[in-house]
Amino acid sequence: MVAEVKQDRVFSNSAFIQSWLNRLGPVLGLVLVIAIFSLLMETPARFLSPNNLRVVLAQTVIVAIGAIGMTMIIISGGIDLSVGSTIALTGVITALGINAGWSPTVALAAGILVGGVVGVVNALAITRLKVVPFIATLGMLGVARGTAKWVAGEQTVNMPDNWLNELLVMFPNPPWLLVAPGVWITIILAVLAAIVLRNTVFGRRVFALGSNESAARACGIATDHLKIWIYGLAGLLFGLAGVMQMSRLRQGDPTVAAGSELDIIAAVVIGGGSLNGGVGSIVGSMIGALIMAFLRNGCQQVGWHNYIQEIIIGAIIVIAVAVDRWRSSRAAA
Amino acid sequence: MRKIALWFTALTVIAMVALSCTKPGGAGANGKKLTIAVIPKGTTHEFWKSIHAGANKAAAELSSQGNEVDVIWKGPLREDDREQQIQVVEGFVTQGVNGIVLAPLDNRALARPVEEAKRAGVPTVIIDSGLNSDALVSFVATDNRKGGMLAADRLGQLLNGKGKVLLLRYAEGSASTTEREGGFLSEMKEKFPGIELISTDQYAGATRDTAKRASENLLNRFGDQVQGIFTPNESSTAGMLLALQDIEKAGKVFFVGFDASQTFIDAMRSNQLNGIVVQNPFNMGYLGVRTMVDHLLGKPVQKITDTGVTLVTPENLDSADIQTLLHPPLQQYLK
Repeated sequence: MVAEVKQDRVFSNSAFIQSWLNRLGPVLGLVLVIAIFSLLMETPARFLSPNNLRVVLAQTVIVAIGAIGMTMIIISGGIDLSVGSTIALTGVITALGINAGWSPTVALAAGILVGGVVGVVNALAITRLKVVPFIATLGMLGVARGTAKWVAGEQTVNMPDNWLNELLVMFPNPPWLLVAPGVWITIILAVLAAIVLRNTVFGRRVFALGSNESAARACGIATDHLKIWIYGLAGLLFGLAGVMQMSRLRQGDPTVAAGSELDIIAAVVIGGGSLNGGVGSIVGSMIGALIMAFLRNGCQQVGWHNYIQEIIIGAIIVIAVAVDRWRSSRAAA
Repeated sequence: MRKIALWFTALTVIAMVALSCTKPGGAGANGKKLTIAVIPKGTTHEFWKSIHAGANKAAAELSSQGNEVDVIWKGPLREDDREQQIQVVEGFVTQGVNGIVLAPLDNRALARPVEEAKRAGVPTVIIDSGLNSDALVSFVATDNRKGGMLAADRLGQLLNGKGKVLLLRYAEGSASTTEREGGFLSEMKEKFPGIELISTDQYAGATRDTAKRASENLLNRFGDQVQGIFTPNESSTAGMLLALQDIEKAGKVFFVGFDASQTFIDAMRSNQLNGIVVQNPFNMGYLGVRTMVDHLLGKPVQKITDTGVTLVTPENLDSADIQTLLHPPLQQYLK
């Protein structure tokens, strides 16, 4: 055990410098995006106004919460393509729960738990059935989406007013919260996840698993067990993202968030995560999510067409990774 | 290293800016220019292009009358994604447009953003599909129920009041198509009791592709007995038409669709399609913006405005009225 901790320490020292380098890129990108749009804007004051920031932050929440879970998975060398479907499923479950007369808190817990169950099922397919994560979660993408439509009776699930609806409103109540409660929840979760990944044995093992799975196993890490925890925890977060989505729509919508797994993966990758595993940071992913939200918001306010926006976001993903590659090859040399 | 990363990103963004002809939005600080945001459900259907043209026509007309009006056109990034449409509405509210003309993707999901817009001082006119909210200024749309009833009348007459008919629905939660389906079904049951409805619970989904797949599955099951088909919008009609053509059944069943496109007109000329119910999206875009501007100028506006539905058949296809309806002057207003 002592030897293992030591090894972690050595690993984390070089990784520490690396991760700071990785982090600077995204921050710079975010500042640049905001600065460029402010310059392009006829009325930059509106773009930078508290109201607009409030809106952008609320719009980032779903992708950001998803990205926290996805960061853990990607660091561990995995991937989860079923996030969008999980968001739809858990939103529907929560809405159904409220319709069934459960208290919002119970419905919230149910939504989150269902997300966790989906994650654990993914992990079981990966570890027991030996299916690679890409395929296992691609399968779940269909299964969860279908289940969502099935339990929802192929229609949106409308529900009576409840406090979950207030999670992502533009003007929070009470006003001293400044931003929607969901934004605070996201910040707290991001801080917790960052601490867990950086400072706990569990977190270091996630990195070890992603850096070199056989080496991790040789060091005595129960990798299968670890994967179940990773996908399960991430699933709980995806479940929460689903509740947030439901809160924004004020209904459980089984067709929502199709394709949002790509936004979430893009946030992690722009934030410096590597699909090869072993690299990534929560802070980076949060900034990645913010970059995309600001891009969307900015493109709209400047009056650009949607296709320009899509091209820009696509280009930025590739550029972010290319710059990252180039930087790490320099760092290695 | 950082410098290069910076230049790389900056250059790309600048190149993008140079490539795109940008149209600055936002209300002008000086003068009384009104900025109206028009938000469709998507941007690639021909239907929405007509709405866009109509909105631009209203803006041009009003501007020439001395009320400077600027129309900003922006749909959800992913078509038919409610979350994305909400983001567009929220973006326009903080941008401070004078008014929003919105075709909501869902009658409930868009209620909160519209209410928040009202609270922030931005009024909304709803077009095309209904919204369950009191926060809207006016509802400018097709009488969809009537459209479905026109389709039922046409199919019923073609079939002489007896036969087997199927309805392929559009998508869950879309108010306008649900009303068309409802109007179709009730008219069928009431006026043509001899017609048997063999399938009314299948959905086409959002795109032509999903519609084609759903149609193939339906035709696989009912293809040998079905005599009449109704589909309630452009994508479901296109998907069904493709599926019918693939199995060489087009022209052998009576088929009435909804919305107009060149493909449908060609199909009507070759008798593969026996009728389409068309709305007047050009008028809808036009009246949507007019209503919003009237409201902003303090004039009273009607709570509900019908923009009209018409049945187009191979017989009346070449009349002048139908031709202007089918070919609104898009080129003139979309530059």
